[in-house]
Amino acid sequence: MSTTEASFEPVAPAARRGTAGTVTGSSASRFLRTGLLHLLLVALGFTFALPFVWMILTSLKPLDEVGLDAWLPMNLDFRWGNYGEVFHVIPFARFYWNSIFIAAWVTFLQVFTSSLAAFSFSRIPWRGRDRVFLLYLATMMLPGLVMMIPNYQIMIKLRLVDSYVGLILPAAFSAFGTFLLRQFMLTIPTSLDEAAEIDGASKWQVYWDVILPLCRPGLITLTIFTFIGNYHSFFWPLVMLKTVDKYTLPIGLLFFDSTRGQTTNLLMAAVTMSVVPMIVLFVLLQRYLVRGIQLGAVKG
Amino acid sequence: MGKPLSRERRNTLLGLAFLSPNILGFLAFTVIPLVFSFFLAFTNWDLKLHNAFKNEPIQFAFLSNFLRLLRDGEFYQYLGNTLFLMMNIPLAIAGSLGAALLLSKDMRGGSPRVRHWLIVSAALLLSVAALCLVGLHAGAFVILLSGLAGLMLFGGVLGGSTLYRTVFFIPHFTSGVAVFILWKKLYNPSNGPVNNALARPLLALGRAINATPPGVIRAGLAVSLALAVALALWGLTRLLRMSRDGALGTAAAALPLAMLLAPCVAMALCCPHRPVGRVVGLLTLAVALGLIIAECLRGRDFPARPSQGFGDAFMLALLLMLAQLILLGLGSVAYGLPEQAADGLEPPAWLSVYDWAKPAIMIMGLWGAIGSNNMLLYLAGLSNIPAELYEAADIDGASRFQRFWHITWPQLAPVTFFIFIMSVIGGLQGGFEMARTMTNGGPAGSTTTLSYFIYTQGFSTGRLGYASGIAWVLFAMVFTVTLFNWKFGSRYVND
Repeated sequence: MSTTEASFEPVAPAARRGTAGTVTGSSASRFLRTGLLHLLLVALGFTFALPFVWMILTSLKPLDEVGLDAWLPMNLDFRWGNYGEVFHVIPFARFYWNSIFIAAWVTFLQVFTSSLAAFSFSRIPWRGRDRVFLLYLATMMLPGLVMMIPNYQIMIKLRLVDSYVGLILPAAFSAFGTFLLRQFMLTIPTSLDEAAEIDGASKWQVYWDVILPLCRPGLITLTIFTFIGNYHSFFWPLVMLKTVDKYTLPIGLLFFDSTRGQTTNLLMAAVTMSVVPMIVLFVLLQRYLVRGIQLGAVKG
Repeated sequence: MGKPLSRERRNTLLGLAFLSPNILGFLAFTVIPLVFSFFLAFTNWDLKLHNAFKNEPIQFAFLSNFLRLLRDGEFYQYLGNTLFLMMNIPLAIAGSLGAALLLSKDMRGGSPRVRHWLIVSAALLLSVAALCLVGLHAGAFVILLSGLAGLMLFGGVLGGSTLYRTVFFIPHFTSGVAVFILWKKLYNPSNGPVNNALARPLLALGRAINATPPGVIRAGLAVSLALAVALALWGLTRLLRMSRDGALGTAAAALPLAMLLAPCVAMALCCPHRPVGRVVGLLTLAVALGLIIAECLRGRDFPARPSQGFGDAFMLALLLMLAQLILLGLGSVAYGLPEQAADGLEPPAWLSVYDWAKPAIMIMGLWGAIGSNNMLLYLAGLSNIPAELYEAADIDGASRFQRFWHITWPQLAPVTFFIFIMSVIGGLQGGFEMARTMTNGGPAGSTTTLSYFIYTQGFSTGRLGYASGIAWVLFAMVFTVTLFNWKFGSRYVND
């Protein structure tokens, strides 16, 4: 699209705050209006947070109090033991580990191969390059579902069903990552690598010592997005995994819900344990995430 | 270094070497399955016929998968479900825009002094509230909730919009199987918190309805039908005026026109209260037809270019269509109320009844979609609007609404269009995770979307050929939307 050129300018909504909502009037009226704005935002945010409040409170109740009107456990007798019990009822630690292990491998492979490919697409002029790149772009808008059925048959033939490898490999090569990093690399002036090459650096050295360090923000963004996307990934693990010990968190939760869903308190403890790390991750990384999403607008 | 030719060859080799790890995976897991899937769509591969025990040859079936799809009643039901769930999109976009507008405001009140006042009064408010809670012997739950709200308020006053943005964004960010399971429990018909909270207000509402004469409430249907018709006709005259002024070509008018009149057609065909709906729908269509013919006979003052005002007309028609559908829905709910209220109103059983499963999923979707990526895109878009435009508007004495309507909304048009297209593409392919975790596509297929249909056909039933065929039809739809984006997107954006 035509908007790609401006894509990697840092977008900072805070920097120009007040363009859309300049506050005018006397101090008293400004105080009143801003105060009301805060109250409105709190009311909205409170509504958004309520399901999570219920989730946490229910995870701390004994089972026979789950359906009661009161959200808090009786006599404020919090059952912290519910959290420990989850690990006995299902192999929850195993699910965690599987999720993190698989997501980490996918992320590593994807960032590495995408950055290599992006380097090739942006820095080395070879014949047919742009046509191959167009092919990459074209596949980005294909619904993943189209590929799932044949991919599964391929996995059966390769005997990779129900294996980590079969889960990691198809997710490890992404056209989107290549596209994102290519756009990023195009914003780095070529004079830098020309200078390095005059100094006798090989292409690999240019890639490793010049381009990659300059791409750091892009690499971080891609890393975070790939990791989170994979942590949430559902369809492929759902069809591929057969043994409980290999389940990732989403599949494990689904398994928990369908086998012992009646124990709502334990289920909510498990849900809390899979949601809270995401919230912490977001709060820690929101600088990169927000910028990444605002840049992602350009991906079409 | 050598001659230029060898340099070129060297570059090609190097380029391919750097590309090779990625392109090998790309070929193996994208291109080959893609080609494979395309051929599959034309075969009769079915795991019931072709398995270890019964190995019939896989046959080339020409178009039979697609012909079968055309005759498959389930396919139309699921396509309808998918489109129904997509009615969320305009609501979600409006919510995101609203949230972004609120968040883009200056949280500090324009000067440090006002900010200090805000902090002091927030602290004051909190301490007064705390005293009241103690004085009234409030329960632990009330204290907990007020503490949460107070914390949020204090954090917001001190930290500005970042805190609110985070709170808004978290439902979207955590969205996934875990959150769907949470909502399934929230919606539990017998003891979920949603129905626990609804029970008492609904009881009171039921009493109020029983106290009013049923005719008054039934009239709600008439009022909403009239409003829906008025909206359709108003939109029609707007479109005709645009066409007369040369802003909208005939071809470009077709889609907005169809969208605008679709609710009336639906009314005429399948309104829940048939005689009334049929008459009103048919009358409206007749009037619309008359208006259009009259306009055509009158001729145009300016020759219209094919698609200049298409974006505006499309947006207008979309919003009006949605408003009409909401009105019709409310009207038919109002019509049925007196009957239901006769033996007391009860909260719906949400995910376990046909009629409420889709609204339940849509409410959950809105919760996650308002503070989503779209809100962040709108925030970025808002910060890119040149301040001079607002200054000029202030000099002209524009009202707040005028500032929004004539500056903010048009300036955000590219963002809105982008969000809309992305949401439609996502919506067409969506609904799988919710269907799988919350309802298994039920009850009676009311939450089965196209993607879930493909999953059941391909992975449960084993009809690989048929499933691939549906997947390619889905792709064709997505591709049409993309083409639409290419054709109109850039033009609308560059206006």
